Amino acid sequence: MRVIKLDKTKLVEYLRSLEEWGEVWGPVRKGEKFVFAKKDPSEFDLTARRTILPPKKFFVPPRFTMFSYRDGRWEEEFDESRRIIFGLHPCDIFGILILDRLFMEHYPDPYYIKRRKNTAILGFSCLPDEKCFCIATNTHSVEEGFDLFFSDVEGEFYLVWVGSSLGDDLTRIREDLFDEDVTEEDIERYIEWRRKRDKMFKTDLDLTGMPEIVEISYKRPIWEKIGEACLSCGSCSMVCPTCNCYNVVDENVFYEERIKRDRHWDSCMFKEYSLVAGGHNFREKRSDRLKLFYTHKLTGFMSQFGKPACVGCGRCVDACPVGINVPNVAKALKGEKVDAIWARGEE
Amino acid sequence: MNPYEMQRARIVRIYRLTDDVKFFQVRPYMGTEVCELNYRPGQFMMISLPGIGEAPFSISSTPSRPGLYEFCIRKVGRLTEKIFELKENAVIWLRGPYGNGFPVEQMEGHDLLIIMGGLGAAPLRSLLLYALDNRELFGKIYLLHGARTPDDMLFREEFLELMHRDDLVCLLTVDRDDTGRWPAYTGVVTELFRYVKGIDPKNTYAAVCGPPVMYKFVVEKLVELQIPKNQILMTLERRMKCGIGKCGHCAIEYIYTCLDGPVFTYWDVLHMKELI
Amino acid sequence: MKPKVGFYELTGCAGDMLNMLNCEDQLLSLFDVVEVKSFAMASSAHDEDTELDIAFVEGSVSTEENLHLLKRVREKSKILVAVGHCAIFGGVQISENNWEERLKKVYGDVNFIHTRPIPHEPLGMFVRVDAVIPGCPINKHQFLSAAGKLLLGTMPELYSFAVCAECKWKENECLLMKGKICLGPITRGGCGAICPTHNIPCIGCFGPVEEENVSSEYKLLLEKGYSPEELRNRMKIFGGKVREVK
Repeated sequence: MRVIKLDKTKLVEYLRSLEEWGEVWGPVRKGEKFVFAKKDPSEFDLTARRTILPPKKFFVPPRFTMFSYRDGRWEEEFDESRRIIFGLHPCDIFGILILDRLFMEHYPDPYYIKRRKNTAILGFSCLPDEKCFCIATNTHSVEEGFDLFFSDVEGEFYLVWVGSSLGDDLTRIREDLFDEDVTEEDIERYIEWRRKRDKMFKTDLDLTGMPEIVEISYKRPIWEKIGEACLSCGSCSMVCPTCNCYNVVDENVFYEERIKRDRHWDSCMFKEYSLVAGGHNFREKRSDRLKLFYTHKLTGFMSQFGKPACVGCGRCVDACPVGINVPNVAKALKGEKVDAIWARGEE
Repeated sequence: MNPYEMQRARIVRIYRLTDDVKFFQVRPYMGTEVCELNYRPGQFMMISLPGIGEAPFSISSTPSRPGLYEFCIRKVGRLTEKIFELKENAVIWLRGPYGNGFPVEQMEGHDLLIIMGGLGAAPLRSLLLYALDNRELFGKIYLLHGARTPDDMLFREEFLELMHRDDLVCLLTVDRDDTGRWPAYTGVVTELFRYVKGIDPKNTYAAVCGPPVMYKFVVEKLVELQIPKNQILMTLERRMKCGIGKCGHCAIEYIYTCLDGPVFTYWDVLHMKELI
Repeated sequence: MKPKVGFYELTGCAGDMLNMLNCEDQLLSLFDVVEVKSFAMASSAHDEDTELDIAFVEGSVSTEENLHLLKRVREKSKILVAVGHCAIFGGVQISENNWEERLKKVYGDVNFIHTRPIPHEPLGMFVRVDAVIPGCPINKHQFLSAAGKLLLGTMPELYSFAVCAECKWKENECLLMKGKICLGPITRGGCGAICPTHNIPCIGCFGPVEEENVSSEYKLLLEKGYSPEELRNRMKIFGGKVREVK
């Protein structure tokens, strides 16, 4: 992989120059949190940790129109905009790689693919906070899935990994800003930075052998306890970078003389999710729905993929009001101490 | 190619099967010639009406009789209510076929036990007709079909005709017969097993579809007969919004009913916890 | 044949009717494709004899006259849609039980001559309701979406999940996580999470979401330091008679 350097003071200038290729999006502050937004690159917050929504919102927006039906014909509707997303962390990139497998293999999904192909992924290195557990999911270092990846090692330069042909094109938009000369010192600094980062993780989560634990725990009463606390609000699914479930609804837009077929994010935590016509619900109980969610996150999802879909971003930790999240559930299943309202016993 | 794109089709004929089930023959728009439709027994299609929505339906016809798709549809929700209002010649929208379908090639050379209850006749009629159209490829064929009353039995006339054939054993039963004219058995479907004779269990495939309560008792009988667990096939129903492994609704543990099913073996059922 | 439609108000603030009228750009198209037989706020049409295809009814039943009108509308309408919180759940006025006491407090000892008041109830207590458009007030996109479905002769298909889903779509900071009494998780969505988007906690005006987990949210907020009384009061405002707060 081509690795080059960019003077840190030139980052904003460089990102601005990319506007000739597409809209430039990056992490900006929203209250105490962050979101990816289309702003001037000078407003991007390089200290940003996880954004409220993961980058999946670029490839499958929360709600969008798939088809319009007019005069007896269905017409596809596509989003053709070109976007550059700056500031994706390794966990987010792993999340995208998982969605790629789901949406791009086996009946490729043109809505996803079109947006994906029109989006450049510019990764950015990060240091973990107390909610990050990507070291436990082994998604803290990324080698593919980006066009460019900026590593913020200490010093005056970013190391820039060029991960694709598009990434290479993007560096050539302002070739003058980059320095090809990566020195022995830079490499040493990078290695040192990695060491420092790995030591910063505060999580004690160990997911080794987790699929077996989930498998054997299927009938344990702990699920009922968690189910009692679950608000079925679906926040976990909305913020999870690998949750991909959606619902499809038709709407009669009579005032525009068309019918549209929309697709919107759904969650297996919702009661209606497994309901079939006629009224039978395959997952009547919240605990049953939680089991599905955590099977996907901790054991595997998609038969041909077969790997757990958790990338350790910590968004579920941030989002669940009652502390039902991957680290807590995994620990509870392993009999470790958990600080959550449902784990405290009867008040 | 957009896999969500629907194909225009025309309803050629509608028959009422019971109070709440109608049978639709549907022809895709493909010019005038009789088209070969490429599907397997046990597969399903997504049927759409603009503005109302889309849902999966088992195909009841057999690919060995080209030109038409046949669906057996029960009125249970918004979409099926609207489909019921349609007249012959109306346009509906299709995509598919989807799902694994029955492993008919593997089933060749085996005896077949086809056991259906209620709307389970919809997918299994496809397998049955396929086997009858390719009669020389299969060993003995038993059809076991249960319904509440004669009026509730799907494809009653068609199956009653089959009772006269000597190349299959057609066992029909109803829980209750108020007409007094029912020419076949009364009782639950599992009681029909006593008439199943002379099959070679190790060399038999069983295919089961019916209401959730039926599986347990039927499977008990099949296991008693010593049919291998991976030769007991069942086709399952789940909520689906895409049919192509994306929307997630039909997920069972880490598999998708729309891609890995809807036909599963009893062995799958034993090691996948949520199947039945 | 255009469907015949009527809009009716029982006891309420007419806020839902106003929101329908607010669909300025789409209202004319709607009136093009339906025949309005009665709509006090928007039309001089006042035909009370024709059978209706669709009746939209706002407000709760709180007088004998209301009840009479509701029954009349039900009889002549193929589809009756309860519009807004009052019609679906009874509105804020049924959150307390001491009806007679409150009536006396407000009106004193008077003789009601025009019509006699009765304890407020949602429509469903008296007649069959075919569809609902929730909210206090309703969201106009949901009204248009429901109207579109009804025009096709099918039932509305509105969001059945809690406010939190749409709130996340808007990338709002979670107010409940920040310790506010936000009723998003126990409230039906469809509002576009408009209050949390403006940093105001959800007060539950779309009514209880199906399968609301009140006890978990209650327990959680108790732990955050709120008093049982405060929580009970907050949860009861839009809880109708379906929400049980321990």
